[in-house]
Amino acid sequence: MRAAALLLAVLAWPAQAAWEWSAPLTVNSVRGATIFPHLESANRRGIAVSGGTVGVVWEDNRDGTSQCYLALKPATAANFQPEIRLSQADCYEPVVVALGAGRFVAAWEEAGRVHARVLPGGKALQLSKADAVQVTLAIRGNALYAAWAEQAGRFRRIVVAQLAIDSDKLGVIAVQPVEAAAPADEQCWPALALAGDGSVTVAWEDRRSRHTVPMVSSSPDGRSFSPPARLTDHKSGSVDGLGAGTGAMRPTLTAWGEQGLAAVWLDKRDFLSGYDVYAAFDTGTRRFGKNIRVQDSFGDNMAQWHAQIVGDVSGRLVALWDDARDGTPDVWLADWEGVAFGDNVAVPAASGPGAQSDPVATLDAGGSLHVVWLDRDEAAGTRIRYARAERK
Amino acid sequence: MNLIKMLLAASFFWAGTALADPPTGYPFVDYDAGLKAARANGKPIFLYFGRYGCAWCDHTNKKTFSDAALKKLYAENYVLVYVDAESGKRLTLPTGERITEAELGVRLQAFATPLFVYLTPQGDKIVQIPGFKTVQDFRDYDRYVRGGHYKQKTLLEFLGGKS
Repeated sequence: MRAAALLLAVLAWPAQAAWEWSAPLTVNSVRGATIFPHLESANRRGIAVSGGTVGVVWEDNRDGTSQCYLALKPATAANFQPEIRLSQADCYEPVVVALGAGRFVAAWEEAGRVHARVLPGGKALQLSKADAVQVTLAIRGNALYAAWAEQAGRFRRIVVAQLAIDSDKLGVIAVQPVEAAAPADEQCWPALALAGDGSVTVAWEDRRSRHTVPMVSSSPDGRSFSPPARLTDHKSGSVDGLGAGTGAMRPTLTAWGEQGLAAVWLDKRDFLSGYDVYAAFDTGTRRFGKNIRVQDSFGDNMAQWHAQIVGDVSGRLVALWDDARDGTPDVWLADWEGVAFGDNVAVPAASGPGAQSDPVATLDAGGSLHVVWLDRDEAAGTRIRYARAERK
Repeated sequence: MNLIKMLLAASFFWAGTALADPPTGYPFVDYDAGLKAARANGKPIFLYFGRYGCAWCDHTNKKTFSDAALKKLYAENYVLVYVDAESGKRLTLPTGERITEAELGVRLQAFATPLFVYLTPQGDKIVQIPGFKTVQDFRDYDRYVRGGHYKQKTLLEFLGGKS
């Protein structure tokens, strides 16, 4: 326990300085009052940085149906290039990860199945044979995995696939459900992370306890997964014979440090103030510890939404979400400071008048934080905005 | 024998309502189907924003929505829509925007369940009311909505300060 605390404290070293932000850029080239872009995805993996090129994926309805798009900003470019369309049929919840040298892998749901593709170039590969939704990706070195929620009888269950990359071609090495048994209730919104020991960890929303519980399972090799455990330390159970437990949703995961993992999710254990952001850590034991509330006291009586956690191998760890504590939705972040998350800081270009929400973020290899969010304007249409931050 | 049948029936009823899904016996439909039906028949929409496993939803179902007269009143005069606060199921807003049921909670600034939202047949919000409510409360809200009082008064004004 003491060793774990020491490790958490050591991993906090970069968190003492403030973030210095670039001027924001607009990502989407088409906007309008009836065009609705969305950044929602499993594990909120809507942005990646590959060899200095920033890639952002989203879904919008500019073409009359929901389609998925990718926009790139090469390192030397001042702005994002016009986006390319990834899909042909109804498309939802795209994600993207970096392959390096300006290359990416994107994945998305299209026509009720999940697909993935290497970009630039590459052809889309259908990953699921059955109906499936909410695909996500994780990459570490040459190891690339996908997870999604796939129909298995009455309910969906979480499936994990190891993928192979050969130039701009993708292949499926192995696909298996986290649990062999048929799901007893709905499982959805998977989050994936690959730790430094080569293990694969997946978290998801699970309703087997008759309310939504974030659960987690790990595999040393991506093939055989441990029995699911609860991410939450809040017990299920009725109150005076009523209900089954408090709410929770949308777990996100990140690798953190050499061996660690961190998770955040929306949690309604304090059921009168909306969802709060809660976190849990796995310091390398492949077990998550006690839960920690992420937002500070100024956000206590306010619902938090769209939470994400991002980390890197050097130990940086940042949680992001949106809430309306200042009257309108703003994007907030908090750095991990060893024993707790620090003061909540509004992202400058994603706060103030108007509605700024739905952050997705990543840390690049140099430790810069890249954030994308929605800037809503009912008359002019929603902009997808991007800013980069350096720690000073 | 009759007692056994009654106990079995009662246990079935409670099992069916224990998870805070829509109350038993009400013709709840999903958001898109409800909006389509309301536009077709001109009835206002009563949207029950609940959560799987929600204790207060369960309490409301058992204490309030078990009232047979209330069930008749709402089933006959409203299009009943149930939305799951944590679901990824998709719906289409009157603006044409496609969001998830969970995202509807963000748009409604929902901080607790159950949340009851009354909408016009076109899907415009009339009023939203959070938390456990009694049979009489729902009768009052019905008078406020179907009587058209919301066009001139807030709900609080209509109720004379009674929340």
